[in-house]
Amino acid sequence: MDVIEALKRALSEKNVLASVESCRPYECDGLSAYREKPLAVALPETVEQVKSVLRICKAHKVPVITRGSGTGLAGGTLPLKDGIVLGLSKLSEIIKVDPLQRTAVVQPGVRNISVSQAVEKYGLYYAPDPSSQIACSIGGNVAENSGGVHCLKYGLTVHNVLSVTVLNMDGEEMVFDEKDDGIDLLALLNGSEGLLGVIVEIKLKLLPKPEAAQLVMAAFRSVSDCADAVTSVLEQGIIPAGLEMMDQFSIIAAEEFAKVGYPVDAEALLLCEVDGSHDQVQTDAQRVADILTGKGAYQIIVSQSEQQRIDLWQGRKNAFPAVGRFSPDYYCMDGTIPRNKLAFVLDEINRLSDNYGLKVANVFHAGDGNLHPLILYDANKPGELELTEDFGTEILNLCVDVGGTITGEHGVGVEKLNSMCHQYNTPELEIFHGIKAVFDDTGLLNPGKAVPTLHRCAEVGQMHVHNNQLPHPHLERF
Amino acid sequence: MSVATPHAIQQFAEQIQQANVDKQTIQITGNKSKIPLGTEDFNGEPVQELNISDYSGIIEYEPAELVVTVKAGTPLKELQAALAERNQMLAFEPPDYGNSTIGGTYAVGLTGPSKPFRGVLRDFILGVKLIDGQGRQLGFGGKMIKNVAGYDVSRMLAGSKGSMALVTEMSIKVIPLAQEVTYCIEMPENEAILLMNKMAGTALPMTGGAYYQGRFYYRVAGEHPAQTNRVGVRECTNDIWVTLNPFRPELQEGEKLWRVDVESTNPAIENTIAVGMGGTRRWVASPNKPNHPYVTLWQTKFAPRHNDTPHVQKIKLGLRDVFDPNHIFKQL
Ligand SMILES: Cc1cc2nc3c(=O)[nH]c(=O)nc-3n(C[C@H](O)[C@H](O)[C@@H](O)COP(=O)(O)OP(=O)(O)OC[C@H]3O[C@@H](n4cnc5c(N)ncnc54)[C@H](O)[C@@H]3O)c2cc1C
Ligand SMILES: Cc1cc2nc3c(=O)[nH]c(=O)nc-3n(C[C@H](O)[C@H](O)[C@H](O)COP(=O)(O)OP(=O)(O)OC[C@H]3O[C@@H](n4cnc5c(N)ncnc54)[C@H](O)[C@@H]3O)c2cc1C
Repeated sequence: MDVIEALKRALSEKNVLASVESCRPYECDGLSAYREKPLAVALPETVEQVKSVLRICKAHKVPVITRGSGTGLAGGTLPLKDGIVLGLSKLSEIIKVDPLQRTAVVQPGVRNISVSQAVEKYGLYYAPDPSSQIACSIGGNVAENSGGVHCLKYGLTVHNVLSVTVLNMDGEEMVFDEKDDGIDLLALLNGSEGLLGVIVEIKLKLLPKPEAAQLVMAAFRSVSDCADAVTSVLEQGIIPAGLEMMDQFSIIAAEEFAKVGYPVDAEALLLCEVDGSHDQVQTDAQRVADILTGKGAYQIIVSQSEQQRIDLWQGRKNAFPAVGRFSPDYYCMDGTIPRNKLAFVLDEINRLSDNYGLKVANVFHAGDGNLHPLILYDANKPGELELTEDFGTEILNLCVDVGGTITGEHGVGVEKLNSMCHQYNTPELEIFHGIKAVFDDTGLLNPGKAVPTLHRCAEVGQMHVHNNQLPHPHLERF
Repeated sequence: MSVATPHAIQQFAEQIQQANVDKQTIQITGNKSKIPLGTEDFNGEPVQELNISDYSGIIEYEPAELVVTVKAGTPLKELQAALAERNQMLAFEPPDYGNSTIGGTYAVGLTGPSKPFRGVLRDFILGVKLIDGQGRQLGFGGKMIKNVAGYDVSRMLAGSKGSMALVTEMSIKVIPLAQEVTYCIEMPENEAILLMNKMAGTALPMTGGAYYQGRFYYRVAGEHPAQTNRVGVRECTNDIWVTLNPFRPELQEGEKLWRVDVESTNPAIENTIAVGMGGTRRWVASPNKPNHPYVTLWQTKFAPRHNDTPHVQKIKLGLRDVFDPNHIFKQL
């Protein structure tokens, strides 16, 4: 019996997709430039069925690519043509909410936003809020250790998960709990990109909803003034709930899109939100406004109502699609840098942008140093995607070189494999491969993602050495 | 990109490499507050000591980046004082058992009273440098608050108790120094457990909840509504959090101290002498092990729990082989 037959028997005819048509939605994730038709898509409805899928795939030596909602931006769920996509969207039950304990136990296919919606009546919420939260799954969030606008204050996914239940290729269950002794395997599973196991149950920490929130919007005439201002806010002991910065191109695009009154002549715009108790928020908002004024903000708006706060966020929240309107395609990068390198990095990116002849807009999670350059390109122009990817790689290398990292929250997937070679040396990569083999000695769980082979890095390294053989040699490099 | 390696690190690496040649077991030590870590293992077999307490000091500290990078041998006290000078602190409030090092604290994964509110030690670890069992110098994570490149080894090794690698350097996220007040009120234990859970679900900026000797204590940070107008509530000093962290009670003859980790709402456990961490930590004094899944005997020798399922145990053993294939580092 072939693997598709076996899967159909274990699940049901309708929950195993194999035709080109039915597989199409699963050919790619949010990084749509990469596509592949899988052998089949399995959509189990119970954890027992997930176990069966894994056992069948192991018996047939067929790779398993676990998928939540497919909003990942690094190609983490890119299928293999001889592999199965294990879609977990039907495991979408909120199993238990304990309002007194402030925890929720959920299946992996539960959408991020549904958790907060389900616990709202208790005055609680689930803090990590990736911009994709209406679609992305909690399983995917754990696998990517996703962040959100509020993670400087409230943490990433890893800080808000108390326990996970994971299946290995034999379909055996393992529980990793924050109460465990010894090494922290719960932390290891966060951000493991589907390579170490299939997450089938998650216990989440819930937080009380803050009583109040206020947004301070400030316009600056230079990026470095804005970055300095952020430094001052943090130095003075204020941890904003959100701290977002936009460059001029993003400001103009967002204003044109959302019409919320952003100053289009500003070189940099800062959105700083404080939350907490009523008294604390009033004090903090005033302090923030004073600090920013002192640091050269030439226009400041402090939100005076909940409506105004939400309105002012609209521009930033729609920055990606807003910038996207200027171009047929855009490519979203995800490097992280020390904040004191921001002005330098943005200058370099602008220089590269001129060299490559590709426009870039920058939005920046200023509190935690996570930079999202959006490169505008046209996939229909021959060679432009490749050019864009090279540009992106140079940006990531730049991030590493100033002491940062190639990915703050989107993960490595297939997209940043080459950049991993730049960030890590051989021994570290060996350790990563060693960890993978301990959890999955079959190598069938999401093979080829997240950690580059040493062979690949050797080739990338050669590319670095023989500078004259670099792609696009006419481009100036630094 | 070759950065000159400090002499001390080079020597540690060489000692570990030599141990591979000599088939010698190494016991990593910090300030040995966890006695006896000396030159014999628990079976009386000789082990070689690798002491890192002299490798001490702050490497890089920029308050505005909210990150400090420190050598593993640095005493907690020294690190905490340096942060306090710039109005910052370690969010996980590690207990100081008497000159504990930050490396030793990381290696045993110790967190203080704010655990359910601010998080645990590993939450604040951004990166580590280490020397593995083959004497290789490695780096994982970095100095960034957000970093998802590669598996999160720097958080995973928190709690590894010197059994997988020598950690030489760590980057830690710090937070602004909190202005905190403590309130207390007399009440029975079960009522206190219920109340600390209820309060933690409100907008009150709580950073501590405990029960000790008949009193419910809670700690609040920053501006908050008046508390003392509630019947029985009064303001008391912040000393209670030091009493409980580290918790070093006097035990009766024949009693042992058990650290029991439970769900915050777990009803009172027999022979409990203190409830900490918003209800998630119970200290039990009794001759016998309390009947709960997450219990550690708290004594001068490490007492591993031995309660991993076979699959998890296999993974832990496998990971040990990844970091220390020749089993140079002494196991617990
Ligand atoms: C009486 C008493 C009982 C205690 N009971 C327990 C207990 O049961 N369980 C528990 O977890 N804690 C316990 N502790 C607390 C804890 O072990 C230490 O106090 C801790 O803070 C370590 O600090 P240190 O620098 O003294 O490390 P040490 O005591 O020197 O070492 C502690 C552990 O960390 C490892 N280690 C130290 N530095 C490094 C490094 N740089 N890299 C890698 N590994 C390193 C050592 O190998 C050892 O396993 C107890 C403390 C006391 C005083
Ligand atoms: C418009 C948009 C905005 C975004 N904004 C943010 C943002 O603000 N912050 C942020 O961090 N990310 C953001 N993302 C990226 C993405 O939404 C997150 O990475 C998200 O966590 C992915 O969840 P998913 O359910 O879609 O996972 P998928 O894309 O389906 O999978 C992602 C990875 O996780 C693995 N995986 C999924 N489920 C499981 C499981 N149950 N067990 C094991 N492995 C699993 C997959 O194999 C894959 O490697 C954004 C994406 C889009 C499209």
